[in-house]
Amino acid sequence: MSTGAHLLLIAITGGTILAILRLVRRQVLRAKYSLLWLTVGLGLLLIAAWPALLDLIADSLGVNYQPALFLMLAVAFLLIIAVHFSFELSRLESRARTLAEEVALLRNELTTQQRANQPVEPAQHQEHS
Amino acid sequence: MGNGTSTIIVIPAFNESGSLPDVLQHLRRVVPEFAVVVVDDGSSDNTYDLALAAGVHALKLPFNLGIGGALRAGFRFAAEQGFQRAVQFDADGQHDVHEIAKLLAELDRGADLVIGSRFAGTGEYEVGRTRSVGMGLLRVAVRLLSGRRFSDTSSGFRAISARMLQQFADEYPVEYMDSTETLISACRMGYDVREVPVTMHERSAGEPSNRNFRLLYNYARLLVVLATTARSQSPALPPVTPPPTVDLTTPAGVVNVAEVNS
Repeated sequence: MSTGAHLLLIAITGGTILAILRLVRRQVLRAKYSLLWLTVGLGLLLIAAWPALLDLIADSLGVNYQPALFLMLAVAFLLIIAVHFSFELSRLESRARTLAEEVALLRNELTTQQRANQPVEPAQHQEHS
Repeated sequence: MGNGTSTIIVIPAFNESGSLPDVLQHLRRVVPEFAVVVVDDGSSDNTYDLALAAGVHALKLPFNLGIGGALRAGFRFAAEQGFQRAVQFDADGQHDVHEIAKLLAELDRGADLVIGSRFAGTGEYEVGRTRSVGMGLLRVAVRLLSGRRFSDTSSGFRAISARMLQQFADEYPVEYMDSTETLISACRMGYDVREVPVTMHERSAGEPSNRNFRLLYNYARLLVVLATTARSQSPALPPVTPPPTVDLTTPAGVVNVAEVNS
């Protein structure tokens, strides 16, 4: 790899890390996710700065073609993340649903009370206690 | 009917301003002794205001949750207010107010969930060909999964006992095809599910709630849900109140589906 490409890679990964830090500082990204992406960023930076590291790991695992190891790890990682996000999304949806119900019930209670304060309104159904 | 048990009619409504006032008026005329709650599922029209103006209970969901979401909100309200029985009723004028008594009579005979079936005898209810094929498939699936035969697996006209109501208030699927899903899970959990033939009208306003490709997606989703729900998963049933009377003579016109799965 040429020195130029090498430097470019380091700059890109370094820039990514800085961008994530910026998001955390502006409190756009929750800390638990920032930690995750920072770890990934640091790993990438390490490999960008010192490509021989990947070769070392691949050799010790008995992988002949180093990029294959890298791609396999990347795909596995992204898959896990995607499943995790689906899980979180489901949980958020179910919470939003419960909240929506809660809001509707509270609004009803409020309306009922307001009605009770206006004696003009006919009381409709009083069969429940 | 009416032996100290309070009943509430739960009406999920999404943009039903065209038909809702008529439905509410019918209810008030025929069953004035029942409470009514309209669940406005994030409508963009004045469904909620119409319900309020009619003097019934009204829940306004801040955004559209889908039919199942609206129903659970309604059931939660019913359970929290201490109602003993609930009737699920459509806002589009499809259901006949006079049939409510028929469903409730079956609850009195000890049923937990009574389904008003369009296809079990009375009335001629017509559906399009695609839908009828879909419904046929669904019937077969329900038979395989619940071990029982139902003529109408997607009816939204149902009566619900106190303990079934509690169950629905805690746990009710959000998505479309909720009726089929709850039908099967109620059977699996050991609730007494029965079917009663009812007459239905044409919709007086509004659009049918589904398109074909959506229907297909929902079939697939339903299959996944049901396949992943373990058959053996049957939590202890809450005690029945009042205890069901032993009724050996099945009343005429009632399709009793309870025996098949002993």
